[in-house]
Amino acid sequence: MREEVRQIKELLERQAYVTDAAVATSLYLAMALGKPLLIEGPAGVGKTEIAKVLARALDTDLIRLQCYEGLDATTALYEWNYPRQMLHIKLQESTPSDAAEKEASIFSEPFLLKRPLLQAITDPNRSPVLLIDEVDRSDEEFEAFLLEVLSEFQVTIPEIGSITAAHRPHVVLTSNRSRELSDALRRRCLYLWIDYPSFDKELQIVRTKVPRISEALSLELTRVIQASRSLSLSKVPGVAETLDWAASLVALNTAHLDREVVSETMGCFLKDEADLRKFETEAAARLEEMMSPGS
Amino acid sequence: MNAPSSESILTNSVMFCRSLRERGVAATPAEAVDAARTLNLIDLDDRQETFLSLRSVLTSRVEDFEIFAELFEEFWCGLSHSAQPQNIIEREARSGADHKKRPASIESSQKGLPFFLDNWGAASNDSTEINTPAASNSESTAEKDFSLFGADELEEIARLARRIVRKLASKPSRRWKPVRRGSRVDLRRSLRASLRTGGELLQLSFKQRKPKKTRLVVLCDVSGSMDLYTRLLLQFIHALQNSLARVETFVFSTSLERITGRLKNKDYERALESLGETRGWSGGTLIGPSLAAFVSGWPNLVDRRTIVIILSDGWDTGEPEELAASLARLKRRAGKLIWLNPLLASPEYRPLTRGMRAALPHLDLFAPLHNLQSLRALERHLVL
Repeated sequence: MREEVRQIKELLERQAYVTDAAVATSLYLAMALGKPLLIEGPAGVGKTEIAKVLARALDTDLIRLQCYEGLDATTALYEWNYPRQMLHIKLQESTPSDAAEKEASIFSEPFLLKRPLLQAITDPNRSPVLLIDEVDRSDEEFEAFLLEVLSEFQVTIPEIGSITAAHRPHVVLTSNRSRELSDALRRRCLYLWIDYPSFDKELQIVRTKVPRISEALSLELTRVIQASRSLSLSKVPGVAETLDWAASLVALNTAHLDREVVSETMGCFLKDEADLRKFETEAAARLEEMMSPGS
Repeated sequence: MNAPSSESILTNSVMFCRSLRERGVAATPAEAVDAARTLNLIDLDDRQETFLSLRSVLTSRVEDFEIFAELFEEFWCGLSHSAQPQNIIEREARSGADHKKRPASIESSQKGLPFFLDNWGAASNDSTEINTPAASNSESTAEKDFSLFGADELEEIARLARRIVRKLASKPSRRWKPVRRGSRVDLRRSLRASLRTGGELLQLSFKQRKPKKTRLVVLCDVSGSMDLYTRLLLQFIHALQNSLARVETFVFSTSLERITGRLKNKDYERALESLGETRGWSGGTLIGPSLAAFVSGWPNLVDRRTIVIILSDGWDTGEPEELAASLARLKRRAGKLIWLNPLLASPEYRPLTRGMRAALPHLDLFAPLHNLQSLRALERHLVL
């Protein structure tokens, strides 16, 4: 294994993020090649977390752009600060400067509201981490616009001119696959797929993130969660749900799982009425089996 | 691989990309260059690292992982045992030809004709077993089954279709456009204009929501089992097609044909005449392959703002897996996926055909379409 990959893995683990070779390798390449990293996978497996941890590990800013349908340049890139512009015009009313001068003064950087994308490419000191979260929720126009920004790391504001990134941000995009992204955007990015964690990985995550949990309980809980993922539920519990459940059980001073505890607390990881009913019947029939090793 | 030269690395990654492309993984020359750069950045003796790195660079969706793993195995392992990479590529090229059925046009989709013809017999057998739903006893036109409709009642269908389309076209989107007069002030433009009058806001500029550009793609089954309904559904589609610019229409039985052009700007009778020239009417059905041909042949017709409507009774003689896979792909791209089934109205009908069962999990709406009432009910669902 390359020394740098090992270092990245260590950096992430120091931030209490349990990782594997695929994640570390992709992050290393994204930084070495200077390309955005597209992370796909089911909800709740820690896609967003990667960007947060990366920012902490590199000791740099995390700039987050949450995508939604209708997101456009004024919310993602920049907007002029109108109230401030108006005030400025009023204050300058009596001064004898001409209209062109006034216009130049109010369309300058102090009147610019920097939105996430512009913030990310104007950091004067170092490369921030730019997280473009749930990019599948934005619409096609925004995707095309994003493509432009990501290929050049340069933005043109008509009144000011072009702004080129002094320090290229580390870009992480996440997608839940609610919509197919364009091939052009996919091609621009490195690709990482994160699935639900294996038993060993999930156990490690639980023990790292909820240090107060007992060994026995963490084993039982992880086994039940892993078993529940094969029940074809409509909302499959992610790692976030596992951790919620673990934290709740610790708060309740639970030592072992039994049918009663499970049915009282399963709301922590099941978020759908039909799923709750399905799981309850299943747990009533074979909770012991779920918790036994090798199920 | 012991200290390979950078030239051989580049050659290898170009060849690797070529074999990926032949299996349908979009690895462009730009990605081959990235792959070569990557190979210089990593530890080539660590097989897992090489695998993970190249996968990250060369694939762009999880569906490609399997093919990638397979090819990586063959290619890079073969390479270290000094096999001739050329042979691998040629073999890949041959097997790749079977995998890659991506007709770019109707002409190329006709290549599959022998296959369809082989399955013809099975298809016609199936369709003879179908019982059409019993017509309602009520005299009212709204509940009258389409299969009993007379020519004079066709106009009602067309009227409804036009109403649906008008509603579809008038939904506001979340984006803005400048207008002369409106209820929302466009501050940016207003302020700019005020500079001309010394900073005094004399005239306000306005903005309003752009209308939503919803597109409709209709895929209509015209096989034998649908005969009773085809005429009426075509009337419906014809009216849709001519009321909104963004409607695309396809018919399918054993293969797929785009009929948008044939329906456009013609009266119904002439459109029907022109449709007579198309193939495959009243034959068997292969829904899965027809949808697959649509998904791969016209990928750009479907996006988030598209409602895809499939009109079919679900009697498929193709593989249900293929149908499910095509629908899953459509569902990922489309804003909404609707399946309208004329047989669903019959109380005895259960969507138990293998094809229909495979299709159900991927649909946003599964509804009957056999009378005016069901057509009116549809109006509610044709929004994004």
